[in-house]
Amino acid sequence: MLAPRQPEPSHRPLIAVAAATLAGATAVGWLLQRAWKPKGDRNHRAAQALGAGAAILCVSVALDSAIEHYRGQFKDRAMFVGPTMALLGIGAAAYIALRPERANDRLPKIALLTVGVTGMIGLGFHTYNILKRPGELDALNLFYGAPMGAPAALTLAGLYGVIAGEMLSGREYVRTRLPKHTAALIAFSLAGTVAEAGWLHFRGAFQDPAMYAPVTVPPLAAIAIGAAALSPRAAMVAEPLLKATAILGIAGPMFHAYGIHRNMGGWKNWSQMILQGPPLPAPPAFLGIAAAGLGILPLLQEPRK
Amino acid sequence: MREFETPYLTYDVLDKWDSPSWNEQTRGVLRKRLEEVPPRRFLTKEQWGLLDAIVARLISQPDRDEPVPIVPWIDDMLHHNHAPGYRYADMPPMREAWRRGLDAIAAEARNRHGKEFHELAPEDQDALLTDVQHNRVESRYWDDLPAGGFFLHHLLKQTVGIYYSHPDAWSEIGFGGPASPRGYARLGFDERDPWEAEELHFEAAGDA
Repeated sequence: MLAPRQPEPSHRPLIAVAAATLAGATAVGWLLQRAWKPKGDRNHRAAQALGAGAAILCVSVALDSAIEHYRGQFKDRAMFVGPTMALLGIGAAAYIALRPERANDRLPKIALLTVGVTGMIGLGFHTYNILKRPGELDALNLFYGAPMGAPAALTLAGLYGVIAGEMLSGREYVRTRLPKHTAALIAFSLAGTVAEAGWLHFRGAFQDPAMYAPVTVPPLAAIAIGAAALSPRAAMVAEPLLKATAILGIAGPMFHAYGIHRNMGGWKNWSQMILQGPPLPAPPAFLGIAAAGLGILPLLQEPRK
Repeated sequence: MREFETPYLTYDVLDKWDSPSWNEQTRGVLRKRLEEVPPRRFLTKEQWGLLDAIVARLISQPDRDEPVPIVPWIDDMLHHNHAPGYRYADMPPMREAWRRGLDAIAAEARNRHGKEFHELAPEDQDALLTDVQHNRVESRYWDDLPAGGFFLHHLLKQTVGIYYSHPDAWSEIGFGGPASPRGYARLGFDERDPWEAEELHFEAAGDA
C-alpha cells in the first residue's frame, strides 16, 4: 500500500531563524526595560506606561494604515483619516509618556478622545466595507476586506491615554475600580489582537511554525491579567507573560521581515511584498498593549490603604 | 471591421526589463523569444509561404514595421513535435494534420482560382479560409481530415497563441507579461499597481 503523500519538509533554517529572532527581540526588550526610567509615584508610573503603550499602538496603526490605505489608493477620501489620527495619537500619547505629570492636561485628553472616537467610526467604516462586498460576512471578505480589528487599536490607544490622565485625577475610583477595569480592558485588547493575528496567520496556513507564537503566549497573558483584575496574586504570573508578549511584539517585525524574504522575489521585490507580504508594522501592537499592562500591574499587586 | 486601437498608448511591456518585475529567468525566456527566431526546418518552402499568407489574413499586422513572427514558431513546434499532449479523435497526429491541412488549402486555391494561395486577392483568401472553416471544401483534397477542425484547433489557435506570446502583443493589450518575480498587490476592480499598464483613452466599442 502506498503511504499517503507527505509534503516535502522545508529546507529553510526556520528553527535557527526563530531562535535568533527571539534572542534578538529579548535583547531589544531588555535594553528597552533598562532605558525605561519611570518618574513619580505609582499612579504617575502607570500613567506613563499607559501613555507609552498608547504611543506604540499608534505608531503601529499609523504605519500599517498608511501602507494599507496607500495600497487601497486612498479610493475614499476618508482613508486619510486613519493614518492622520494615528499621527495625532502618537503626538498626544508620547507627550503623556514623556511628561506623565501632565497626563491629565486637557489638550492631550481631547486629542486622545478624538483618536478613540475616530477608531470607533473607522470600525464602522471597515464593517461596512466588508458587508458591501458580494458574499457579505464570509471568510473571504474577512480575509481580504478591510481589517475589522485595525481601527479598534486606535480606540484602545485613545482609552489608554484617557485612563492615563484619570490616574492623576485624584478621584476616588482611581484607588478602587480603575486599575481593575484597566486590567480587564488590557485583557480584552490582547484577546482582540490575538484574534486578528490568529485569523490572518490562519489565512497564511501557519506555514512557519513561529506563526503560532502570537496565538499561544498572548492569550495566556490575557487570561493572567484578566485574573489579576480579580486576584492580586495572579499579577505574579501576569508579569512574565506580559513581558513575553512584549518580546513577541518586538520579534514580530523581524519574523515578518524574514517572511518577506521568503516570498517570491524576496526583499528585491519589496514594492509588492511590503503590501502583500506579512505586515511589518502590525505586531508591535502586542508590545504597546503589554507595556500598558505592565504599567498597571503594580496598582493591582500592592495592597491599597 | 473596426481597426483595433490600443488604449495603452504609452505602455511598452519591455520597459519592465530591468525593473523588479522581472528576474534573470524571465529575461532569459524573453530574450530567446525576441532574438532567436527559429529557421525553417519542418515545413517545405511552399508550405511556409502558404502559411505566411494564411497567418497574414488571420492576424493582419499592417501597423507594425516588424510583424510578430508566427510561422517560424509553428515550424519550430512541428520540428520538435511539441504536441499538446493529446490528439483530436477525428484528426491524425499533429505533424500529419498540419502537412495534409496546408497541402489541402493550397490545392483548394489552385482548384478554385488556378493560382497559388498567396497570389490571390485578400478577399478571395478570406472567402477560401471561411469555406475551410465551415467545411465547404472538396473532400478529395482533404480525405478524412476535417477542414473546420484543422482550421480551428490547429491554424487559428496556434496563430493566436503565438501572436499573444510576443511582448509587442502584450503591450498592445496592456498585459504585464510573466509576473515573475513581481506579481500584483492591488487585485480588486478598478485597482492598478503603479507597474501595470495604464489605460489612457477608452471608448466603448461602437461609439463614433
